Amino acid sequence: MSSHREAPEMAKDPVADSTDVYAFVSPDRPNTVTLIANYIPFQAPDGGPNFYEFGDDVAYDIHISNKGKGEADLTYRFLFHTKVRDDKTFLYNTGPINNIGDATWNRPQFYSVIRLKGGKAKTLAQHLPCPPVNIGPRSTPNYPHLAAQAVHTIGPRKVFAGQRADAFHVDLGSVFDLGTLRPFEHLHLIPSADAVGRNSLQAFNVHSIVLQVPISEVTRSGRRATDPSKPGSVIGVWSSASRRKSRMYDRSEGKYVGHGPWQQVSRLGNPLFNEVITPMALKDMWNSHSPKNDATFAKYVNHPELARLLPVLYPGVFPHLAAYHKSRADLNAILLTGIPSGVVPGFQNFTGTVESDMLRLNLAIPPASSPNSLGLIGGDAAGFPNGRRIGDDVVAIELRAVAGVTIPLVDPSFTPDAAAGVLTDGTTDTNGGTTATFPFLGNPGGGYQTEPGTTSVA
Amino acid sequence: MSDTSRRKLLAVTGASVAAGTVGLAIGPAEAAEARRSGTSARESVVAYVHDHRSNEVRLMVGEREIVVHDRDLATRILNAAGGQ
Repeated sequence: MSSHREAPEMAKDPVADSTDVYAFVSPDRPNTVTLIANYIPFQAPDGGPNFYEFGDDVAYDIHISNKGKGEADLTYRFLFHTKVRDDKTFLYNTGPINNIGDATWNRPQFYSVIRLKGGKAKTLAQHLPCPPVNIGPRSTPNYPHLAAQAVHTIGPRKVFAGQRADAFHVDLGSVFDLGTLRPFEHLHLIPSADAVGRNSLQAFNVHSIVLQVPISEVTRSGRRATDPSKPGSVIGVWSSASRRKSRMYDRSEGKYVGHGPWQQVSRLGNPLFNEVITPMALKDMWNSHSPKNDATFAKYVNHPELARLLPVLYPGVFPHLAAYHKSRADLNAILLTGIPSGVVPGFQNFTGTVESDMLRLNLAIPPASSPNSLGLIGGDAAGFPNGRRIGDDVVAIELRAVAGVTIPLVDPSFTPDAAAGVLTDGTTDTNGGTTATFPFLGNPGGGYQTEPGTTSVA
Repeated sequence: MSDTSRRKLLAVTGASVAAGTVGLAIGPAEAAEARRSGTSARESVVAYVHDHRSNEVRLMVGEREIVVHDRDLATRILNAAGGQ
């Protein structure tokens, strides 16, 4: 979760595993939008000597749809390459790394940024350095300094690619033990005493691509969005990762070598979509599809398995949900088309009738001065499912939506069960903490500082 | 219909489908004397026969995938894979 190891084949390929995607109007520069794509889940900070890095053989993409067809009208592609400075040592670093250009970093990684639009590719930047991972106080003594050096400016854009603390939080151990939510365990079919949630992502890092671009660069009109009611104010956003279609092990090079076109193997729009909506047998196929083909999967949104399980796992707690058998038009709107005007007063993020799983962001809605982590269902139109901010509690929001709190938006005859409005797994972000400015995600936990199973941040 | 006229190639690029039909200039009798054309690949190529009952051969080269429908080529690859 939200898309960490969410599909059987993808779980075996973490370097290409999209784990989270965020899209929000930048609170530090409101004329820009910040797009974040995370990859490589569950990084133990002390995982040396071969620490985590982006794949040189993976194309990492952030896609924008602005014409309402569930297709990528604009894609930012990130291609990485690593260098070994000294092939006589086994060390990741041969001394302290005080600056990202230091020769003591034996395995620096660099990347190119390419914009794909209208069938044309334009290289925006090349050979941009990533920061090293956070090793420890002797190897990376001033990690915030290293991370700051890896923030690059490309014309009006900012970009960062490197290790960050995973800001997503969820109680995996509980949720996947037959749908247990620790704060409500006494109500479970197999009951036990209530407990506080445990963040399963605690102390783990991810690799993040953070891109901040002018809003005018991503809208269909080429202008900054100012009217929330206008269809042109809404964009769809998703991330993906692709590998070459064929890989051959080249013994002379001691590694796999790719041949053929890029083949998408991972994608992510709305958090948890592939995780808890798509049946297991279809998850990897879903990963290879474009959002424009998601009508095939609409039946799993309209009649979600989780909505059938909740009344079974929590007997007597969800009687109204158990009796509701209509197609879930509320979830269809939230996840596949966007919410049209007239459903939530003063708000819309409708992208048309093409059913496609994308984050939908109304760019004319300014950042909230006091964000509510429950986003739109908490009365904060600047949060999920209007795009997704780092602090949005998407597990609680989606649990509550699936449990029925959003049904009255489209079916006023339905009264949600009392429990639906308070559902949570009881977790919060216990990692590095977010920052108020770019790149927003917190510094990664350090290897030396890590006590396995605990939160530790340099 | 000769073997030569049955041969069709479909080129598929990573970004978009660019389809075209190209007739090969040689037939099975000349295969042993095949010469490289001016546009032949100058890099590693992976050939993939997914279904041994079909005449389809997929060639991975650079960032392209070339789909060749060529019974003779497929047969020669299958024979070679069988040790002949």
